[in-house]
Amino acid sequence: MRTREHRLKIGVSGIRGVVGEFLTPALAGNFAQAFGTYVGGGRVVVGRDTRPSGEMIQHAVCCGLLAAGCEVVDVGVLPTPTIQVYVDAIGARGGIAVTASHNPPEYNALKLFNRDGLFFNHYERSELIDLYHQSEFRHALNAEIRGISRQVEEPVRFHFERVLRHVDVERIRRRRFRVALDGVNGAGSVVSVRFLRDVLGCELHAISVDPAKPFPREAEPRPEVLGELAGIVRDRQCDVGFAQDPDGDRLAIVDNTGRAIDNDDVLALAVDAVLSRLPGDVVVNLTTSAAIDDLAARHGRRVFHTPVGEANVVQRMRAVEAVIGGEGSNGGIIFPRVHYCRDSYTGMAFLLDRMAETGQTTAELAAALPQYYRHSGKVAFEHGRLGQVMQQLERSMAAPVVDRADGVKLIWPDGWVHVRASNTEPLVRIAVEARTRQRADSLFATARKLV
Amino acid sequence: MERSLRISHVGLRGVVGKGLTASHVVDFAAAFGTFLEARSAVVIGRDPRSSGAMIRQGVIASLVACGHQVIDLGLVSTPVIQHEIRRIGAQGGISIGASHHPAEWNALKFFGANGTYLSTAEASELLDIYHLKKFAFVAHTDLGGVRTETDALDAYLDRLAGEYDFDALRRKRVVVDCTNGTSSLILRRLNERYGFQFILINERIEGDRFAHEPITNQQTVSLQLAPLIKPLSAEGGFLFDVDSDRLAIATEEGRPVSEEMILPLLADHLLPTGPGKLVITNLSSTALTDEVAARHGGRVIRVPVGRAAAMDALATYPPEEIAVAGEGTGAVMMPRFRFIYDGIASMLAILTMMDRRGQSLSEILAGYPRYCMLKGQVPLVSPKVPELFMELEEAYRNGQLCAVDGVRVDWPDRWFHVRVSQTESVVRVICERRGSEPKELFDELLDRVRRLA
Repeated sequence: MRTREHRLKIGVSGIRGVVGEFLTPALAGNFAQAFGTYVGGGRVVVGRDTRPSGEMIQHAVCCGLLAAGCEVVDVGVLPTPTIQVYVDAIGARGGIAVTASHNPPEYNALKLFNRDGLFFNHYERSELIDLYHQSEFRHALNAEIRGISRQVEEPVRFHFERVLRHVDVERIRRRRFRVALDGVNGAGSVVSVRFLRDVLGCELHAISVDPAKPFPREAEPRPEVLGELAGIVRDRQCDVGFAQDPDGDRLAIVDNTGRAIDNDDVLALAVDAVLSRLPGDVVVNLTTSAAIDDLAARHGRRVFHTPVGEANVVQRMRAVEAVIGGEGSNGGIIFPRVHYCRDSYTGMAFLLDRMAETGQTTAELAAALPQYYRHSGKVAFEHGRLGQVMQQLERSMAAPVVDRADGVKLIWPDGWVHVRASNTEPLVRIAVEARTRQRADSLFATARKLV
Repeated sequence: MERSLRISHVGLRGVVGKGLTASHVVDFAAAFGTFLEARSAVVIGRDPRSSGAMIRQGVIASLVACGHQVIDLGLVSTPVIQHEIRRIGAQGGISIGASHHPAEWNALKFFGANGTYLSTAEASELLDIYHLKKFAFVAHTDLGGVRTETDALDAYLDRLAGEYDFDALRRKRVVVDCTNGTSSLILRRLNERYGFQFILINERIEGDRFAHEPITNQQTVSLQLAPLIKPLSAEGGFLFDVDSDRLAIATEEGRPVSEEMILPLLADHLLPTGPGKLVITNLSSTALTDEVAARHGGRVIRVPVGRAAAMDALATYPPEEIAVAGEGTGAVMMPRFRFIYDGIASMLAILTMMDRRGQSLSEILAGYPRYCMLKGQVPLVSPKVPELFMELEEAYRNGQLCAVDGVRVDWPDRWFHVRVSQTESVVRVICERRGSEPKELFDELLDRVRRLA
């Protein structure tokens, strides 16, 4: 086996690693200085999630940015979408979120945003990486070094304002929804409580909303780890339960019966809500459910599929001027009228608004979605064997439609198989979906055996 | 190529962005974090240079990454950092600031658990760790943190108040040039809290433009400070470098006094009062100190130039035997202040001296014989240095030779010292004579050095 565990990764997705021996202050500082050089000075927004290494890494990042002559706007602990909106709103040159998103707490990473508050696209990232490796940084002289200003309230206000423009706040407030929240003690802890309780007038039953405490569960809000939230929804007879990841871009939902809704269905609910009132097409990644295609067909809209990765989805959304998009595989809802970013707040507001509008429960809304059965898994792989594996799959599972944009996706009228290498880990990810449980089981078993 | 970065036993120093970079700072702070014992408390502070904001971030990141608790004093004078280390029982400290260097420069100064500069051995270990770049970063669960401490200044003033008769001193009317540095924070607080009557100039904290070169010497004193003294009917003038560890003075007549005079003045003040009879200084400072010490039955110990050498010497003698220690730069430390170079404490000691003797500054100075010092420097040609020193030893065999730091030769009424600077690429030439200028000797030395260096 020639595959190793990667505890540090510097590549096109930025810089990510286990804090301590691997992700060091020097690495973070240098990378930030490369970023500051790339954006050419000016204002850069810096914020972070709540993992314990955030403060240390943020200091290193500020050091690198100041050294490159940037003016740092420190927004402290905030959700990633809030930071992205703020970069855009104040016309900053860029932004950095210190967060390893859904990765375990020993990890940290830098998410990099351009002046529009968008994730760096592939070309921007490659340029930045080259700059980093070349170590040709801009070194500001004493007279060129700017300071750090703090902005805590304004970013949240801007973000809320943008989201609330697209829902009927009054009709949500009138319902006084009973809402459970699992903030994973993450960056959304404080902001989400304000959003749901104070702004949307919900009766809130919140757990894990103390940003000073460690993550109480797995950072990724997979349905399997939302047991406590589901329990609260049932005990308190909540209308809905929301769960976030540590940096508040991903959203998971538990319906009023205490059942965790599949990530793809979370996106589907948002897509249905948006398409029912706004014209426009949809962009999702290749691993997203065909439920989205069915919904779009109901509304007479098109769906475009892109390789996995927020930047890829956003890029295509801009190109086709999509009205909504996202990645079903990870609970990311992107609604451009708020911002081209995955935003759990947009997701929460849309669902509550839809419930208020239709009078239906979350379970009823979910039940109305096209039904599919899904499986996903991951397998460690050996370098050099990947191409062979893909070819083998194509040959053995002969499908009428084959999409090779990101790994290989084999598509039949009643289901699909998607096999691709992970961007962040040395893994092959397998995802399948079918209209029946048996078909999904057999597709998954076949693909898994071949990989 | 311009060479400004200097990483040595003295620490880390350079022109920011043109030699000294963020990456140097982050690594050097990580080296210090590794040098300290695990989970230490570390006091940090900075002078007002704009680049200090950047360096502070890097220093905090690395110390926290090594698991230390950082106590941040913000904008503060170096001596306050040193006192705070002792007060709260921290294991070390870092002062971010380039002291008497121009605004474009910055530097890190490192302190140990007693708040004093690192010894040669400690500094050398720190340097080794820096070069090895194997730092003791801790796991994410063991990371340190940062807290801000705002009591440090008042605690420092309490200490000064315990040592000096503030009731007597606050009546003194003196003008102080703060050089836009952190001394203004201390002096304003002395005025506010204790009713001192310091008249401050260049008191605005500046990040980029200092009113004049922040060096403590006759030249800078004569620029703005000295001309104000008589019109304001002040009893004297005092000037600090940016982080106020150094001091320069002018008399009540508005006459700038050589920075070399600070040490003999304080030796004269302290030798008769305390038990200590030793004065520790380097090979380049005035011989007046020897004469003053002799008056009080004291003795001068001369060590190589540089703060690490001074720390080594201090460690060699019991503290109660030492009366005072210092340099010819206006940086002096006193045993009662835990051997911390402190311009503010030196100023208060001089004011005390004036008060006790009932004399003005010029009257006190009139009591010393005239010593004339000439200083010069010649660009360095490293390969030729050994040859230069050998020639000097050979040429001046009729004097008393000391070769521990370059070449120093003493005669009964004059001496010279030729050495390589630790901070710049130059050979320094210093020459002094009792009574009149040693012009001939100085020119001769410069010629020889220029020829061979």
